[in-house]
Amino acid sequence: MKLAKYISLILIFGFAHMVYGQSQVGTIRGKVIDASSGEPLIGVNVLVVGTSDGASTDVDGTFSLKVPEGTYSLRLSYVSYQNKKIEGIEVKAGDITVLDNIALSTATAKMEEVVVTAGAVRNSEAAMLTMKRTSPQMLDGISSEKFDKIGVSDAAQALKKVTGVSVEGGKYVYVRGLGDRYTNTMLNSVEIPSLDPNRNSLQVDIFPSNLIENMVINKTASAELPADFTGGIVNIETIDFPERPIFDISTSFTYNPQMHFNSNYLTYEGSDTDFLGFDNGARELPNEAKGESIPSPLSGTSDNSVYEFVNSFNPTLGPKQKTNNMDYSLGLTLGDQYKVGDDKALGYIVSGKYSNKTKYYNNYVYGEWQNALNAENFDLVRSTTQNGTVAENNVFLGGLAGIAYKAGQSKFKLTGMHLQNGESRSANFLVDNSESAPGQSGYIGESYNLEYSERSITNFLLNGTHYFDNANWEIDWRLSPTFSTMNDPDLRKTTYTIKSNGDYTFNAGAGGFPSRTWRYMDEVNLVGRVNISGDYELFDNPATVKFGGSHVYKQRDYDILSYTASFFGNQFDWQGNPSEILIDDHIYGNGGTIYYQSGNPDPNPNAYNSNSSNTAVYVSNQFSLIPNVRTNIGLRVENYVLRHTGRDISYAQGATEAGINFDDEKVLDAFDFFPSANVIYNITDRMNLRFSYSKTIARPSFKEMSFAQILDPISNRIFNGGLYPIGSWDGNLHETRINNFDLRFESFLSGNQLISVSGFYKTFDDPIELVRLRASATSSEFQPRNVGNGEVYGAEFEFRKSFNFLSESLTNFGFSTNVTLVKSLIDMTDEEYNARKNREKEGQDIDDQRQMAGQAPYIINAGLTYDNADLNMDAGLFYNLKGETLVLVGGGTYPDVYSEPFHNLKFNLNKAFGPRNQYSLSVNVSNILNDRREEFYDGYNTVDKIYEAYSPARTYSVGFKYSF
Amino acid sequence: MKILKHTVSLLIVLALFISCNDDNGNDPNPPSATAPETQNVLVGESLDLTFSISVDAGYESASVSAANGEASISSEPESGATSGDIVVSYTGNTTGAGSVELTVTDVDGLTAKATAVINVGEEQKEFTITENITEDTTWEDGKTYILGGRIIVEPDVTLTIEGGAVVKGEAGSGSNATTLLVARDATLNANGTAQAPIIFTSVADEITPEDVDNGNFGSPNLDETQNGLWGGVIVLGNAPISYSDDGNDQTEAQIEGIPTSETLALYGGNDPSDSSGSLTYVTIRHGGTNIGQGNEINGLSLGGVGNGTTIENIEIVANQDDGVEWFGGTVNVSNVLVWNNGDDALDTDQDWQGTVDNVVTMSPDGSSMELDGPEGSSATVSGNAHTIMNVSAYVETNGSELIDVDDNTNVNISNVVFFGLATDDSGNADNMFSSDYSEYADNTKGYTITSIDAVLPSGTALADYFPQSLVDDGEVEEVADAQSGTGADTSVFGWTWASQAGALSNVGL
Repeated sequence: MKLAKYISLILIFGFAHMVYGQSQVGTIRGKVIDASSGEPLIGVNVLVVGTSDGASTDVDGTFSLKVPEGTYSLRLSYVSYQNKKIEGIEVKAGDITVLDNIALSTATAKMEEVVVTAGAVRNSEAAMLTMKRTSPQMLDGISSEKFDKIGVSDAAQALKKVTGVSVEGGKYVYVRGLGDRYTNTMLNSVEIPSLDPNRNSLQVDIFPSNLIENMVINKTASAELPADFTGGIVNIETIDFPERPIFDISTSFTYNPQMHFNSNYLTYEGSDTDFLGFDNGARELPNEAKGESIPSPLSGTSDNSVYEFVNSFNPTLGPKQKTNNMDYSLGLTLGDQYKVGDDKALGYIVSGKYSNKTKYYNNYVYGEWQNALNAENFDLVRSTTQNGTVAENNVFLGGLAGIAYKAGQSKFKLTGMHLQNGESRSANFLVDNSESAPGQSGYIGESYNLEYSERSITNFLLNGTHYFDNANWEIDWRLSPTFSTMNDPDLRKTTYTIKSNGDYTFNAGAGGFPSRTWRYMDEVNLVGRVNISGDYELFDNPATVKFGGSHVYKQRDYDILSYTASFFGNQFDWQGNPSEILIDDHIYGNGGTIYYQSGNPDPNPNAYNSNSSNTAVYVSNQFSLIPNVRTNIGLRVENYVLRHTGRDISYAQGATEAGINFDDEKVLDAFDFFPSANVIYNITDRMNLRFSYSKTIARPSFKEMSFAQILDPISNRIFNGGLYPIGSWDGNLHETRINNFDLRFESFLSGNQLISVSGFYKTFDDPIELVRLRASATSSEFQPRNVGNGEVYGAEFEFRKSFNFLSESLTNFGFSTNVTLVKSLIDMTDEEYNARKNREKEGQDIDDQRQMAGQAPYIINAGLTYDNADLNMDAGLFYNLKGETLVLVGGGTYPDVYSEPFHNLKFNLNKAFGPRNQYSLSVNVSNILNDRREEFYDGYNTVDKIYEAYSPARTYSVGFKYSF
Repeated sequence: MKILKHTVSLLIVLALFISCNDDNGNDPNPPSATAPETQNVLVGESLDLTFSISVDAGYESASVSAANGEASISSEPESGATSGDIVVSYTGNTTGAGSVELTVTDVDGLTAKATAVINVGEEQKEFTITENITEDTTWEDGKTYILGGRIIVEPDVTLTIEGGAVVKGEAGSGSNATTLLVARDATLNANGTAQAPIIFTSVADEITPEDVDNGNFGSPNLDETQNGLWGGVIVLGNAPISYSDDGNDQTEAQIEGIPTSETLALYGGNDPSDSSGSLTYVTIRHGGTNIGQGNEINGLSLGGVGNGTTIENIEIVANQDDGVEWFGGTVNVSNVLVWNNGDDALDTDQDWQGTVDNVVTMSPDGSSMELDGPEGSSATVSGNAHTIMNVSAYVETNGSELIDVDDNTNVNISNVVFFGLATDDSGNADNMFSSDYSEYADNTKGYTITSIDAVLPSGTALADYFPQSLVDDGEVEEVADAQSGTGADTSVFGWTWASQAGALSNVGL
């Protein structure tokens, strides 16, 4: 109810501000850019023809004029640029007429004034496209002007339209098929940690499109960008001065016939605030459990204190069935700008989004399969399969607010953002362990899992930009702290072992005992950055020098605590329903035998504290020596230090000599030079040849650089921190250094049409992969390790064409495709090669090189689009396919795991209605082909077996937006 | 007045002169001695006490007397020294307030005394072990050793455990489990006797070495079914195993129950006659704590243990998982009793090639025997069998199968008597011999199961429990009671808890 109150308050405020905006005069707003670079022009004189009213453009190249209702012409003049006159600008009372992308060209000789219509200005190329076409860096992007046309609602949807970008799960951006490790995400040019600690990049679907000024994806490095990306770096820049007042509310509903309104949906009693994306304490770890010694029959405490301790845990261990709803979301966005005095302006944006989604997967499968022992047996041997049901409820609540102020030659921006996400999962699996696989004793089990994951990010940004010397020099500084948490409170796993006569029991060597785990993570990121750029002339040509520095400090606290229910004596007659377990009579101290054992030595080996600091300085110069060739050469220097506080199990158990203990120890300390060169040759005005070279880096994460041993309660797979020396691995996990070479030809045709062909080559020095540990037969364990050197070469082909060449009537129809083909090779370590050789099958020829983990061999994006600006409508049918990708590196007993290509076919339609296009509607159908997500064990000369599989099923969604 | 003044001055000077004369020692001061502050010592332990002395006339000699202990002078000043330290070595022998009295004598025969007070405490009988064993170590009779974590006897180190010693594991599950792990190339000599066995148990067990001395080998407070209170005992060696994975020449694997991050938990090699030492009269109880799904710690885990190792007279009680599990290796084991364990009593894997002779299994929750064959690549498979003989198996409940074999199990079994077979509510046979017996019997290597006896519940027939082919071949016979069948010689188990608790006689052994 509180939420409703807040919403109504915001609505009232919104209406109030709409009313306040009404008046008898209208406004012309516009932005003037340099036709050759897309950069804003500052100080352009704008005059209303036939009046003495005028303005000059500010630091953003924008101007604003208040005039009575009518039709006007504007004259723009600027030193050494050709004058431009724009005619036929209609202005209505109380309304704002926007003229974006007024491009001025440099005047080579005395030239006539150019006269254009307001309509022509509106249809001109966006500044973003100009930048993309003319910048020496290979970048791509999409800006706010485009959003209106293509009717996207969030950043993820918009990025899908960008070449070479794939968006996984509707959230995570991948560039050129390179794995998550090699992609980075920034908000307002500062790094933001992911909501998911297992990922490098931030989920981008949380940003509503009407708050985004633009999004730029750099595919090649340049000195001012952080060095830790290889595939691409995505930057989302939020709006600071909305051109028009924004007051939008939106809602959407998604229906999945296989998942929603399903009476088999599983859930469990959580907390009262789960619907807001956080737990209000219901899943909190009992206080006494935090101590070094917990009350147990072995600890010497009274029986009653053991009873009370066990009782302090939530007795719910199993899910219950309850019909779920369909997915829905609500959004609200406000924004406006005000003139404050003559040359000062104040802008603000406020946005909130709430979504509530449920997913239900029946026939969710996990499998563990092994290679057969003998060379002549090809079939994979089953070790464990799990088949069951997973139900998820995902709640997202997020808000973003920003205020910006510009005065004279300075501009300031302050934004604050909070994202809250809670995901509750309930699962029920039948576990079938086969004794015929090596190391397995064979059992049937039934498991119940209850999980909750609570994540939040709070970010602030303070940004100042100052211009000097007639705007030839620019200083931009940013300070941004981010606070994030991810807690998994009370993960409950209960697996009954079913005896051969059908009786239920708990068996330590089979299904294990009921256990529960708490995971806590807190992270603080502090970013400070200064960029200085200056325009000057070099060899009579314009040149730009940039230099600056940044400092990024990150700190993470991580802690895992686990408890196992045990029996001090006999078990009970179980019926196979987890609600029967923690009942009063079963608890020790009350006539029963159940007590909790601690899995946590003190100090805890599953806790760590890490911090990193990255200090960078850079300098770059963009210049032109030869006509039509522009070069950007830069050098970036980063000094990266990662310190770790943590210990291994032996140390934690008291072995201070044999154990390993790190106390704020430097585990990474590297000083690197990152040179970059980007060259563009303008063959013609709309045809380019580009070359680029850069050195970049991929660093191990805090989690990888630790002694943590993290058990995934559902799949039962264990992650080992990279610091453990195991076998031939010395525990010395370190960075991957990458050399990138790119060559690209591109031809920009009229409108939005494009053809481009690129080739790229990358060398990877000690890439990190998640490696299956082969010494253990009984558990599935993995560890991140540096493996042999790798290389990747690929080709990209992009084509975007309208069908107007067939017939004028087909102008609105277009076809776009981009295809990326990649060949990746990794040199195997001797250990891996020998392990594979040892299980070589008859007729198989084991090579000492293989595909790089996480690198897709091909990506195909294709779309048929219909775009009709007159009808305010666009529609498209999009197809995406990612080739068979090596997901987990096996070898020896364990076959490699690959992802099965997922044929993703989607349809979407967007249409705006109403006199002011104030209503917009979008319809989406995704996974039209109803494909299944699969990862499989790759057998030689035999049937592949499932590692993990589930069906996302087909979904239909309808979105509606109203702008006041 | 002047005269008076002079006289006074003179007197003062004289007085000063006299007093100076005194100091210069025609008449020396007696010696003095200062005792150190009160100290603590345990019975049987020694400590040094340092007295400082001052002897104007010159040091001559010193003597000590002690209460609640023995004292001797271990260092003293040179004869004639005027000051110095005397160090007295004191060994406590009786608890209480002890003391050392030092008497110092100077050259003139004058003496001084000083008394140091020592609190003599109980002998340390309990030691908490938190570090790996990295040098040769003996755990003594009469003492208790607490395993504070995963304690590893490191390679090239010998741990000797004397009969009568008690070893207790602290509580903990998962990675916090406590175990005693004997790494490859390390030696464990745990040689108890029938009168003084070595007991491995949980810290929750109140049993003391005195109980053992008094012949009470059972737990005074824990029930014989209480399991999972700590880990277990793991012995690893260099004998061949059939689990071969990492590279052609390596024949090693990570022992079950220990995370891969512990690299001293690898086992297996190429030395069939490898020795990990000797275990005799060892009883292991209440262990097998939960590690995780499908992962377990057995009472006694033997990974790649070679036949140079002696293992006999072993009792496993109330282990939450298997009793004894062999992972490859060649070691021979005799006289084993497994009682009340949570899973299988005997478990074999990875081409174990030894013999286990004379076994009693009682009331396992799983199978009496869970027997597997080679699991490595063919290069590491021996082609030999392991042998199980002379077993008395009291079944009691339907946990799993009686003898669980499958198609590649390389075992020869003979002389087993099954009794206490389970029936369901309607009185029908409720145990199964082995679902994969026919696959096993089809082996071409000649592995056989022979001479099985069974005490049948009334109303059941041999074929209800055993494969028809075994019955037809006359390899299974019905016997009236466990004693009249083949099976174990139970007279060697008199020292066990099971015997002392009457559990053997309760089931008719």
